[in-house]
Amino acid sequence: MQRLSPSTGKFSEEPTLAVGSSSSGQRRAGPGWEPYLYLLPGLLIFTLFVVVPIIAALAISLTAWNGISWDTATFVGLENYIQAFEEPRFWTALWHNLILIPYFVILPTILGLAPAALVHQMKLRGAAIFQAGLFLPYIMPGVLIGVVWRWMLNPIFGPVNSVLEDMGFHPPTWLADFTWALPTIGFIGAWAAYGFCYVVLVAGIQKIPADLYDAARLDGANGWQEFTAVTLPGLRREIAVVLTVNLINALRAFDVVKATTDGGPGDSTTVLALFMMNSLDSNRAGYAIAIALFLAVVTLVLSLAVLKLFGDQDD
Amino acid sequence: MDRRDLLKRTGAISAGAALTGGAIPALGISAAMAAQEEEFLVWTSFNDEVRGGIIEGLGAAFGEANSVAFAHRGWTTDELSDALPRSVDSDQGPAVAQVNNGEFLAGPMARGGQIISLADYDAEYGWSERYAPSLMARCMLSADGTVFGEGELWGLPAESEIVGFYYNKQKFADNELEVPATLEEFETLLGALREAGEEPLVFGNLDGWQAIHLFGELHGTNTTREFLDGLIYRRGDVDFSDPSILEAANKVNEWNEAGYFVEGFDGITGDESTSLFTTGVGGILMQGSWGAGAVLAELGDNAGFFLMPPAAEDAPALHVGGVGLPFSITANAADPDLAASFIDTMVSERAFAAFIESGSLPIGEIAADSIEEGSVSGDLYTGWNAALAADAVGHYMDWAAPDFYDVLTGALQELLGGQVTAEEFQATLQEFYAASFA
Repeated sequence: MQRLSPSTGKFSEEPTLAVGSSSSGQRRAGPGWEPYLYLLPGLLIFTLFVVVPIIAALAISLTAWNGISWDTATFVGLENYIQAFEEPRFWTALWHNLILIPYFVILPTILGLAPAALVHQMKLRGAAIFQAGLFLPYIMPGVLIGVVWRWMLNPIFGPVNSVLEDMGFHPPTWLADFTWALPTIGFIGAWAAYGFCYVVLVAGIQKIPADLYDAARLDGANGWQEFTAVTLPGLRREIAVVLTVNLINALRAFDVVKATTDGGPGDSTTVLALFMMNSLDSNRAGYAIAIALFLAVVTLVLSLAVLKLFGDQDD
Repeated sequence: MDRRDLLKRTGAISAGAALTGGAIPALGISAAMAAQEEEFLVWTSFNDEVRGGIIEGLGAAFGEANSVAFAHRGWTTDELSDALPRSVDSDQGPAVAQVNNGEFLAGPMARGGQIISLADYDAEYGWSERYAPSLMARCMLSADGTVFGEGELWGLPAESEIVGFYYNKQKFADNELEVPATLEEFETLLGALREAGEEPLVFGNLDGWQAIHLFGELHGTNTTREFLDGLIYRRGDVDFSDPSILEAANKVNEWNEAGYFVEGFDGITGDESTSLFTTGVGGILMQGSWGAGAVLAELGDNAGFFLMPPAAEDAPALHVGGVGLPFSITANAADPDLAASFIDTMVSERAFAAFIESGSLPIGEIAADSIEEGSVSGDLYTGWNAALAADAVGHYMDWAAPDFYDVLTGALQELLGGQVTAEEFQATLQEFYAASFA
């Protein structure tokens, strides 16, 4: 407990309770149960909505539950995981997730970083409106983004192919072409995410002390040197945030894929979350949850790796 | 209400009055009024205004006749399938619900004791005698719920569907074309439309399911009821290694290479293909009976409908089709007899008339006085009656095994995209089919 000292006018620490003595003198009182009482509501909510579902998911993933009748929830051990790992479609789906990472993670980060740096350096007027416009795709539901892009890319009445054909090109059916379908989904993902990257990075740039830029200019740095020597290092934390968030989005990609190609053509755009949902629809809940847990672990490991690489070393 | 029902209801009301120790009469409330407060809940996939209106109209009359408060909740099919088992387990669910066929939902729910067999009610109402055996088989399971396609009735559908070909009469007239009587004539017709600069056959396969219909329609011209039922219900020694599968795959390739399909078919959805056809693109649209309303609304008398013609004039052809979601009685039903009576209401003449009026196909034959000659709906109803009479309503091939839909749609997209040969396509299907029940 802190008490005001009449002699010094400062607060000083004084023990309030003696809980025993030792050879080294009086031991300070422990915190007791009171702090835990304050934590209790939060802990209860956390346990109820996080810990229990994780344990339940883990338990269900070890059963052959069909998701309909509990009678089928027989224990099968690691069978669901083994089945998944032996299933070529599982690995194909995971591979597609990995292919999407450059599109969902790196591309939007670059696309967001470039205008963020330009807006900051050029002190553009109306930047807030520009910022809001860029952010809009990020707050749109993924299904809506998918439906809009499916219409845009429609080979018969979609505007993208109409314009390209008018210009003399022979564009493919983007979402139905075995070569182009997955990259097209990647570009849609990048389009949806780069506004978020821009907003986070702009906020980060604004926190970089102006003195650093002044010092760089005094040293004769040009725009590019300012960017590489001041802006980029100063954005380390923000870059870690956008990379992590985008990585999670790449690994859990579902809604845009479902709304545009539903995993086709063939299985050329099937991703792990879609594969999981299809298993759930086929009344294989135990198997589907095993895939979901695997996906969660992969996401956690890769996210931690990104944070380790790009995050603040002091954290 | 027949005499038996009346006695049953009277008995139930008397028993209710006895249990309340005569308190109801003492309060001056009739037993009938007390019973009226009991809710009779039905869950369906009728979540649109038209079909929701039909069931609510029929339900209101049923509720009034049986002194129960009829309540209906319409869901999407997926939501219904997700919510129903859990609600029945928690005693919160409906007395009657639409339950998806076979292993999609009915089998697991039957085995879990969440729906009850309709065997006794089938004997009483004669449903399986009244409707086509091949349609009823899709609603049957063994008594223990493990075998699909035979045994007892566990649900009864009110609607049905069939896939066929809508055509633009003006374009047929302009090019002096007629409805084909054989598969060969059909192919000649498609070629003639191509020659005339029209898109011959409109369909959309971005979402995958329409190629199942195309493949099924072509396979239906070179197969038998026994083989197809065997494939779906796992009867006999049949599988996807059959030559008819390869023949149908080769025919899909032939049509694709001949340019019979609308350009960009792989990049539009099944629903978009209907919109495309109704705006005047293409001579023929492959679509299910559910598309009739949209075609009629946009093309009116300028549209007609025909079923896939057989390989030879007198040969049989099986058409892709099936039944709507069957109505089942859940373990929650306080009065299963009443629930069965409601199911019978859904296949009454009044219900059929309402379904026909709304543009959907009922499960049974359509009366001649409901058929308007020369209209698209008239063509559809005539075709439907003919298919019923010939027991020629085939199957959706993805029913052959759990999870098969994804494999089949994917393999067909690969076939149509030239990624695999017909032989590789067949091998993919056979490999999955054999492994799925190994």
